[in-house]
Amino acid sequence: MSRTLNGSRDPNAPWYHLDPLVALAAVALAGLGIASIYSATRGTDPLDYNTFYLERQTMFVVIGIGMGTVAALIDYQRLRMLSPFLYALSIVLLIAVLSPLGSEVNGAQAWFNFAGFGIQPSEFAKLAVIVMLANYLSRFDGDLNLRQLAVALAIPAFPMLLILQQPDVGTILVFIAIIMGMLWIGGARLSHISLMTVTGIAMLAAVLKSPLLADYQRDRLTVFYDGDITDAGAGFNQGQAQIAIGNGGFSGKGYGLGDQTRSGLVPEQETDFIFTVIGEELGFIGSMLVLGLFGLLIWRIWRAAQLAKDSFGTLICVGILAMILFQMFESIGMTAGMMPVTGIPLPFISFGGSSSLVSFIAIGLVMNVRMRRWQ
Amino acid sequence: MASVRDSQAFRLNLVGIVALSLFVALFARLYSLQVLHEEQFQAAAVSNTNRTLSTEAPRGRILDSDGRILVDNKSTLVVFVDNFVLADQLNSRQDREQLALRLATALSDNGVLTKVSSILRELEDAKYGPFDKIPIASGVTEEFKVWLKERDFQFPGVEIETESIRFYPYGAAASHVLGYIGPINQDELELRTTSAKAYQPADEIGKAGVEAAFEEVLRGVPGSQEIIVDAKNRIVGYGDILSPQPGSDIQLTIDIDLQIEVEEELKNQLEARRLERDNNKLTGDNSFFVAPAGAAVVLDPNGSQILAMASYPAYDQREFIGGISAAQFDALTDKDAHAPLNNRVIQGLYAPGSTFKPFTAFAAMNSGLMSDRGELTQYSELFDPGFFTLPGCDGGKCEFQNAQRTEYGLVDLRRALTVSSDVYFYRLAWFFEISPSVRSAALQDGVRAFGFGRRTGVPLAYEVAGLVPDAELKAARHEDIPEVFTEGNWFAGDTLNTAIGQGDMGVTPLQLANAYATLANGGTLYSPNIAKTAIDPATREIEIDYQPRALAEIYLPPEIRDPLIDGLAGVTTQEGGTAVIAFETYPHDLLSVAGKTGTSEKFGKQDFALFAGFGPVENPEYVVVMVLEEAGFGSESAAPGVRNIFQALATDSIPIREPIDLDYLNAPVIVGIDATGNELALNADPTP
Repeated sequence: MSRTLNGSRDPNAPWYHLDPLVALAAVALAGLGIASIYSATRGTDPLDYNTFYLERQTMFVVIGIGMGTVAALIDYQRLRMLSPFLYALSIVLLIAVLSPLGSEVNGAQAWFNFAGFGIQPSEFAKLAVIVMLANYLSRFDGDLNLRQLAVALAIPAFPMLLILQQPDVGTILVFIAIIMGMLWIGGARLSHISLMTVTGIAMLAAVLKSPLLADYQRDRLTVFYDGDITDAGAGFNQGQAQIAIGNGGFSGKGYGLGDQTRSGLVPEQETDFIFTVIGEELGFIGSMLVLGLFGLLIWRIWRAAQLAKDSFGTLICVGILAMILFQMFESIGMTAGMMPVTGIPLPFISFGGSSSLVSFIAIGLVMNVRMRRWQ
Repeated sequence: MASVRDSQAFRLNLVGIVALSLFVALFARLYSLQVLHEEQFQAAAVSNTNRTLSTEAPRGRILDSDGRILVDNKSTLVVFVDNFVLADQLNSRQDREQLALRLATALSDNGVLTKVSSILRELEDAKYGPFDKIPIASGVTEEFKVWLKERDFQFPGVEIETESIRFYPYGAAASHVLGYIGPINQDELELRTTSAKAYQPADEIGKAGVEAAFEEVLRGVPGSQEIIVDAKNRIVGYGDILSPQPGSDIQLTIDIDLQIEVEEELKNQLEARRLERDNNKLTGDNSFFVAPAGAAVVLDPNGSQILAMASYPAYDQREFIGGISAAQFDALTDKDAHAPLNNRVIQGLYAPGSTFKPFTAFAAMNSGLMSDRGELTQYSELFDPGFFTLPGCDGGKCEFQNAQRTEYGLVDLRRALTVSSDVYFYRLAWFFEISPSVRSAALQDGVRAFGFGRRTGVPLAYEVAGLVPDAELKAARHEDIPEVFTEGNWFAGDTLNTAIGQGDMGVTPLQLANAYATLANGGTLYSPNIAKTAIDPATREIEIDYQPRALAEIYLPPEIRDPLIDGLAGVTTQEGGTAVIAFETYPHDLLSVAGKTGTSEKFGKQDFALFAGFGPVENPEYVVVMVLEEAGFGSESAAPGVRNIFQALATDSIPIREPIDLDYLNAPVIVGIDATGNELALNADPTP
């Protein structure tokens, strides 16, 4: 069997099993993202539009596609060996970001400022944990005993504890989604999963009542079930986001013509609330386009998980699926008022280097797994 | 191994189902927001970002019956402070104080005296919105504008703009008719929240006279400019512009020449009277007459159109331009200064005295007490020895007398009116009291038919209703405030006083004129009109034609009306008529006048003089009423005043008045300012 990529006549060759749809969906979403970011950030002076965000995000997407390609080309089996190093590196970075080396934005000590770019180690930690956990879980025959489960939980626990120090509740929630998805596929027993769910909910309640969370975080989480969206404060943001989406109506206000978007009434509109730009300017049609592209993406990742030649590949795909699915659901759901407000970027669309790179690398990994199903 | 893959495949399917359900949830939510509730959110978005700035439309003008402009608009330079700049750059009290000090100094140096404290008060007034411009002073010069422009860094937010203000070509003339405008207050604003011509808190509104009564017509439709703002209230875009539409012009029934003539006559009569002494045999103490105030009104009895309406003391409506100080306003409403702001024609309440007698006579004939076939007819002669003693009187006032206790001998109704025999009417009143065939309030019912005791309905604010006393009212008043109204029982003396227009009888000069108009026109009681038409300012088309408003038709057959008219005609012409001396040199052949003098007593004051007349007697065109407070006999002061007015009308010698304000000739005639600040000179010529 040839291990080269250009063995196109070989039905088992990687190139033969390349999934163009998953790449297409990702690039299309990134294109929509760039357009939305420009609309949200160009300002109101037609003679002097701000193109900073447009240029930055375009660069991120280009670099992301490049890194995703690299991630697709290197046989994912090598990640088994690499995973402890990636995991250790992410732990070191998460510790370093809490030191004076890191900087604080919006109340979270989550960024490295490097040559004018902000690097968010918690984003990369998600991928490191997925690979590490996939590596560990794939050793068992789809049935985890309590000790194995405890080790499996310990792997994400360290980075999660560090991220909680920043604190970045949104990323913690993404981790929980990843763990649940991977343990489920990795063979955790139903009784254990039930117990974990119950304990998790109890812990969440305890955390909400405890002084571990900053006031603004508690507000953002609780406004969802007891807040008045027309009020100023936490509920105000979500209210403005919903007005923006509703204002778009069926066909949208037109690109660059959203009242709420132009008025700057929706906060963090180029990052966490990016979906409001699409909702307002492109309307229900635009919303459905985004949902459709994500649907395509998730379906292809799910299919890659199904077709993977080993548990390691399946688990990597499921971890990535859980990550993207949860981030999408939370980010869109929060702007639409059906989920609490947390700072989670919408994959491929939100402005941000780390998030964009991680999303494309993740898709590269999924393609990697699928390509090598017969090798 | 197969079992592992099988169970994993099953679990992966479940993951797919979870993913699918999440997509369905998002779809449902977005469908609800963007398709089902689209309109609700679009409305929310609009109110979120769109603000409407209002520009006040020019008010309609007020024209006289010939179309001459009585109230116009003219442009003036107004100094504003932009509230947005104020909030943005001068947010400390200290900054604002400095600006106010600099501005007050600069304005005062340039002749517009302004206080620092009054500027500060305006700057901090909550009624101004974030985009409003706060008016500080008006009437600054073009030079000042240039001076300020050169120093605009010292005066952040200060702007000078052209604004439209009220302008009065005839100066202070007709002040009570025209009224004035002023900034709308909270109560007025709340009453008009649903008005089609929406009001902003700093808008002007008519406060008195025609300006207030025809507010709905005069006010234009404000223009608006939609602006789109961001979360920090910065303007990010502009929406629809709606140009303001000027209000409609009002053409009055008032003739400005006659109006000024009547005002001057009223003033002259009062001033002349102050040089004479009160030598009434019974009540006078030979001191000079005070003659502090009075009222005069001229009506066309056919439809009751008000041709002139004067009240003394008057005020100058120009004082209200650009705001009036509290001290100035207090002086205008001061009772000791006879409240110049009051329009005595509709707000003054006077005992009509003998001018009331025709209506008492009508009540007698109307009730059947006096008829051409009964025991007491219009032609029955009663003996007048100069006094009347109440039969069976046992205490209190028992003897009632004529003025000066003059003895008139045998008088019938006509003669009793001509010579003004009180005794004749005392006897009539006594018959009302004792006659079993008439109802107890027959006298009051008869006079109320002529509109006494209720508002005439003239479209002017603050009109009072007047008072026709009766037993019921007297008892009710006593019950309410026994300390003031010590007596609750109705006595024969009360009927006697009512019959000659004394006691508690209270009429406004307009009510009296309107009652005479009803008598003169053959029995139609109208609600007086002061406006003829409302006119579109651009097309000059008539928008509203104010037709005469008939309220009631009074049965006045010749046997009732003729003796009254004859008796009143005799007043100015017959031997012994109370106004014969006043009308001695009057050209009766040009415009014959019938009328009645009146002298009403007021406790603690000199007598009030009244005269009510109409002419020509055969086919009346004018009713003139004059009331002079504390001026003695009606025959001596009010009658000459009315005579002079009739004489001017008869000889057609009323001078044509020219606009007195020379400024008016130089000022550009504009009817308004459009949204962009350009002046609109729609039609300089007001005559159609």
